[in-house]
Amino acid sequence: MKALIKVGYGCNDHCSFCHTLDVRHIDAQADEVSLKIKRAKALGHSMVVLSGGEPTIRPELLTWAKLVASLDMDFGLVTNGRVLSYPDVVEKLLANRLRYVYLSLHGGNARIHNRLVRSEAFDQTYGALDQLSGRGLDLSANCVVTKQNVDHLCDLVDAMLPYPDATLKFSMVEPKGGGKLLFDTLIPRVEYAAAKVCEALEYAASNVSAAGPTMSHGGFPLCLMTGYEHQYADLKTDRFWTMIEVGEPDYFPVDDKNKLQPADKCRGCSLSGPCPGLYRVYHDVYGSSELTPVRTRLRSNSFNYTFDARVRPSPDGSCPLLRIGVTPWDYGRHLFVANGDRIARFNADTRDFSDQEIADIKHERGQIYLDVSTKSAPDDFARDLVLLQRSERCDGCPERAHCTGMFEPAPQSVFERDDELVRGWLSELTGEVLDIGFGECRYDQILQPLVEREIIRYTGIDPDIAHVDRAKAERPWADLHGSGLVEFTSAKRFDALLVLRSWNHFADPRAALDRLLTLANPSATVIIVDNEAFGLARTRKQSERGEGGNAAFEHYRNDSADDVHGLTAELDLELLDRHVVGPGTSNQWALRYRVGSGA
Amino acid sequence: MTALDRVPESLVSADSAAGAVHLTVDANIYPLDAVFAAAFTFMKRHWLFVDRPDADHYKVTLAAKDGDDDLGSIAGDFANELLSCAYRQRLAKESRATVEAVTFQAMAGAMGPPSLEELEDFDFSDDAFEDPLGIAQSWEEKYAKKDKTADDDGGDAATSDGDKTDDTDDGDAS
Repeated sequence: MKALIKVGYGCNDHCSFCHTLDVRHIDAQADEVSLKIKRAKALGHSMVVLSGGEPTIRPELLTWAKLVASLDMDFGLVTNGRVLSYPDVVEKLLANRLRYVYLSLHGGNARIHNRLVRSEAFDQTYGALDQLSGRGLDLSANCVVTKQNVDHLCDLVDAMLPYPDATLKFSMVEPKGGGKLLFDTLIPRVEYAAAKVCEALEYAASNVSAAGPTMSHGGFPLCLMTGYEHQYADLKTDRFWTMIEVGEPDYFPVDDKNKLQPADKCRGCSLSGPCPGLYRVYHDVYGSSELTPVRTRLRSNSFNYTFDARVRPSPDGSCPLLRIGVTPWDYGRHLFVANGDRIARFNADTRDFSDQEIADIKHERGQIYLDVSTKSAPDDFARDLVLLQRSERCDGCPERAHCTGMFEPAPQSVFERDDELVRGWLSELTGEVLDIGFGECRYDQILQPLVEREIIRYTGIDPDIAHVDRAKAERPWADLHGSGLVEFTSAKRFDALLVLRSWNHFADPRAALDRLLTLANPSATVIIVDNEAFGLARTRKQSERGEGGNAAFEHYRNDSADDVHGLTAELDLELLDRHVVGPGTSNQWALRYRVGSGA
Repeated sequence: MTALDRVPESLVSADSAAGAVHLTVDANIYPLDAVFAAAFTFMKRHWLFVDRPDADHYKVTLAAKDGDDDLGSIAGDFANELLSCAYRQRLAKESRATVEAVTFQAMAGAMGPPSLEELEDFDFSDDAFEDPLGIAQSWEEKYAKKDKTADDDGGDAATSDGDKTDDTDDGDAS
């Protein structure tokens, strides 16, 4: 894992979009950087990457590289590369474990590149690629896409052809510093820029051999990068864990707080997990009109916290996070679990969920569990999972609000308790019952006796024809059909309609509700139950087994009870009961409605 | 007032009756500190007055304590000393960082020899890389000086942060 250290904000270029426009006169003292390098080692990083400003104009560059190597870490640079056109500098850095170079190249020729960096820099920057390519480095050339180069991106693809071991990345310009000051001059409409990047990626696909260079992009909403979503790259995909600015006392996790996924467009989008969204400043100016959310793809309903390391308890019994330092740990993605005297640290590096989603699942919804099973995918939550809850030792701590927190196994079994509510509702059913997406048949112990006592007549539908055929043999008391909800036809109207853990399987939830109501008698009961997303703390083997297993995504969304209830506002449905997910509950929510008499 | 031989009257004038000579000094070329430094070297044998007739000039008046009436030599000697002081001040400003570093190292040595622990951390190698093309020069150092004329400190090209607010329509540095 990489640590990013800003060594100062001075630079030998002056890009029009310079992030550090107002602080270019600030440099860190040499000792400050040395201390930060040592701190990176203490925290467990495997690489230190220097950035700025421009780190290579610092006379301490080689001293710092030596220090990093002496601490058995690899060395990296985020740089304009100009100093790396000196062969002897490159050789000395390679001798000190230079392994990663992220180099800024904003045009395929001097005219465009020099125009954007406002220096006669192209020959040196491009020349650095000659020095660096073929040296076994993780080498990237990053092009910041602005109005000035957006129509010339294919030229850059051509310019990178001689360097098959490199990656060419196209990054949306951030409205920060110079980018904010010159917003109208520099910032293209994101939809247009994304289209031009896609053109360049398509051009690369046609003109670049399998040997490379590879292509990636960043800062573009994924709904605008159709077909190229998998080529997204950012600090996290590059395995950066933390960063630290000049003058900051400790590291902070890398984050996406400068971006957002506007709720009016992005809520329920299948791509919300890996998508960077829009820069906040861009959204302030242009809003979300360019976004085209995707709601037709399946996504995961869970993610793994994989074991990282054991943590030494504090000798005096105090919180080890206060001893180690609170700020380097990601609020959502890191998980510390204490079980007696043993403390373990876990990390979730998934891209199936965004930082915000993971933080919400962990802290707001309280839905993280210890996987105590040996299965690749837990299917009996009551037995396979143990709820993790925030430790009482966090109560009253002044760091609580922004600390990743200490968690402990909860003694109570929450799944059976919460499911008891649904069992109770089912036991009260009468009349014609339609079970939509009957799936696992979990409630046969309640439904079968009701059928046999002629209290209910049970009809079940499921789109999995093979499953329906198997279930017919196992459930002779039931009337089963292989069908989805929308295409299901029946002369009957039903007194109870059940959506039991099949809600998130509906591609169009509003259409599903509308169809439900057409099948319902007046005053019918509608019961909707499903699960929110959750995190699983697992060993490395468990995570490998789970991620390598055959389980496929089945959910279009991970809706909450509130998401569903929000859709019923204009429908003739009266809410009778609601059970929501939160800390101390399982991840199962449940809603019970009565259809109005006007249905 | 009379002019002196070979010296323009606008720069130097003499008051023979008072035994005094007046020099008009361009404040844009000669820092005030250089004027004081030059004046200091004449204080033993001359009376001196420094005046500021306008924003762009100083006026230095010298009169020999012993009544020496070679006013031309007094003016010429003072002018040469003033130039010398101004130039020394410019050199000192440019090499201040180096002087401070050397001085500090000398002082550090005066505080006693380093301990074994300090020596353990001391890097004896020369790590700074050579930069024959001046690539590692900051953008502000390289480009901002070219836009500056002589400043109030006597001709030093002042370094500023050099940030240019772009007022072109396409982001180019004008």
